[in-house]
Amino acid sequence: MIPDLQLSTLWAASPANLVLPVVLPLLAAFLMQPLARVAVPLARLLGPLVLLLSAAITLNLWLQLGATPFSLTIGGFASPLGILFHADGVAFLFALAVPVFALLFWPGTASGGGDDRDQGARRDALTLLLVAATTGLALSGDLFNLYVFYELAAVASFGLVALSDTGRAQIATFRYLMVSAFGSVLILVGIAIVYLQTGTLSLAQIALLAPETLHNPIGLAAFALMLIGFGVKAELFPVNTWVPEVYAGAPARVAALLAGLVSKLAVLIIIRLLVLAFPQPEMAQIMLVLGLLGILTGELAAWRAKDFPRMLAFSSIGQLGLIFIAFSLGGELGLLAGLALALHHLVIKSALFGLAVRWRGSIEALAGAARSSPLAGALFVLFALSLVGIPPLPGFWAKLLVLIGLAETGGALALTVLLLILLATAVEASYLFRIAIRLYQDVPTPVAPHGRRDLGAAALLGCVLLAATLGMQPVADRLGDLAEQLNDRTRYIETVFPLHLAVKD
Amino acid sequence: MIGFNLESIALIGALGLIVIGALGMVATNHLMRMLLALVIAEAGGNLLIVLVGYRVGGVAPILGVGEPGAAMVDPIPQVLVLTAIVIGVGVQALAVALLLRIHRAYGTLDLRALRDRMDAEVAAAAGVAPDASQEAPLGARPLPPVPVGVTHGAGRTGPLPALERRA
Repeated sequence: MIPDLQLSTLWAASPANLVLPVVLPLLAAFLMQPLARVAVPLARLLGPLVLLLSAAITLNLWLQLGATPFSLTIGGFASPLGILFHADGVAFLFALAVPVFALLFWPGTASGGGDDRDQGARRDALTLLLVAATTGLALSGDLFNLYVFYELAAVASFGLVALSDTGRAQIATFRYLMVSAFGSVLILVGIAIVYLQTGTLSLAQIALLAPETLHNPIGLAAFALMLIGFGVKAELFPVNTWVPEVYAGAPARVAALLAGLVSKLAVLIIIRLLVLAFPQPEMAQIMLVLGLLGILTGELAAWRAKDFPRMLAFSSIGQLGLIFIAFSLGGELGLLAGLALALHHLVIKSALFGLAVRWRGSIEALAGAARSSPLAGALFVLFALSLVGIPPLPGFWAKLLVLIGLAETGGALALTVLLLILLATAVEASYLFRIAIRLYQDVPTPVAPHGRRDLGAAALLGCVLLAATLGMQPVADRLGDLAEQLNDRTRYIETVFPLHLAVKD
Repeated sequence: MIGFNLESIALIGALGLIVIGALGMVATNHLMRMLLALVIAEAGGNLLIVLVGYRVGGVAPILGVGEPGAAMVDPIPQVLVLTAIVIGVGVQALAVALLLRIHRAYGTLDLRALRDRMDAEVAAAAGVAPDASQEAPLGARPLPPVPVGVTHGAGRTGPLPALERRA
């Protein structure tokens, strides 16, 4: 029987609508090519429309149902047999961020021409595919489904990078593909070990069985494998060699999506695994050490970088290292610090790559750029100040939380990490301010100003940052709630298996 | 139980394939061989998943096959492995397509040469002096010659030139 399909069903506060933000972009991605053959203007509109629609649906669901976490079993097969979507505050937050950021960095309209039209349709389709996959990553509550969405996101990002037709982008994509595919093998081995130990792939059931089955050296091995595997997209230390070449070779908008969104979703998977299945100090220790190596190598390489996109790429590695350090602290404080840093980085790095649309060149060549486009210069200074952590800006509070967490942990390792973070911050300040000074130099022929659309996204994100600065207390409270929810393993299990309430106690 | 049974031999084999693949990926400079090493590693990973669900003497998990109540192999890992194989093949096909484009653009698949070219191009596109080559031991080493009739580099907007036959 065909259900009564009406547009109003999209707005109904029904958990079933949770699949729409994944399904709609996926559907649109595959409709894109045929549609572009028939009606180009319609195809150009399809992407933004679908993104707006899925953002609206997600927001609507969050407002109406988001008060308590809930789960949706797909096809009516109850977990653990079926596959499920799990929606809590953090999942909603990221599921909403995905279409919004994709919309902000939506590739511009290609001008006419047969080849260009195909190229544009392909790019739109791949972006929508990336959106569908990353939204799935935020919502999925099943380990293997996470793997599938992760691979889908990977393939979409390979395509987006390789679409820029230069040879160097192809080489960069190939090397990215190799690292990523080997990471997938490691994820598969990790999944195999988890399945061997627990006999299930549902995250909730894994969480339920983890204390007896995964809190041992075998579980540690599984976590390490999955950490490295998912870490490829999260720019984790040993598997981030692809980052500078890809971000330098890809269009700046694609780099903004990869550095901003995709890396955060990969981090989110790792954190879910850490909280639900592997909450032991050894696991956090691995993350702490890898995060530390990430921040040190990233910031030092960024200091040495001579061109703007690669500088952003290396600094992104450093920032993600700090995010891993924050999450490795564990507990609500660690999760709060990690979430704050992740959102902060999502906003700032995307915006900086938005500025890099025009500032592709070397740092030398940026001399006087702030004079030709004052707004871009001002935005760069704002973002730089927040990245370094100058007091009233959100970056300061996020960094402070990490430092407090490290100081509270105590011990030689934590204090060393604390000192090294301060050192890395000094390095970060040195290279960011070097650029800021160069931007305001007086030169006869500065670089061309930004287009209105390029600057629009960055300016909007700058406003978000300022708004967060003014409303620090409410933002911190909301994030605190989200961190508490993220940290609540029992609640996750009970959301998926209401019956286990009785069994457990 | 001492000694090797079928399961442990297969398990060692699967892990061995992954190790061989990993070593192969880092040991070679030829991109095609690197891809083949990846294929081997993926095969190892897939084999490992199948082994997780394997039961010695188990029958296929189909109703009506074998004695009622007989041990059955776990079907879930087999389903997963189908997905993993399909994804793996898709990614490999994409990799081959990329290799073809790289070969068309540069006429070589040697990683050292390509990395130098890429670094030089990224630096040229950014308008900065390139870093010293990672492979050059001392002083400057010339880049491999550019194939005749092939232009490469930043700012090209047209389609890639057709694949040329080389001796």
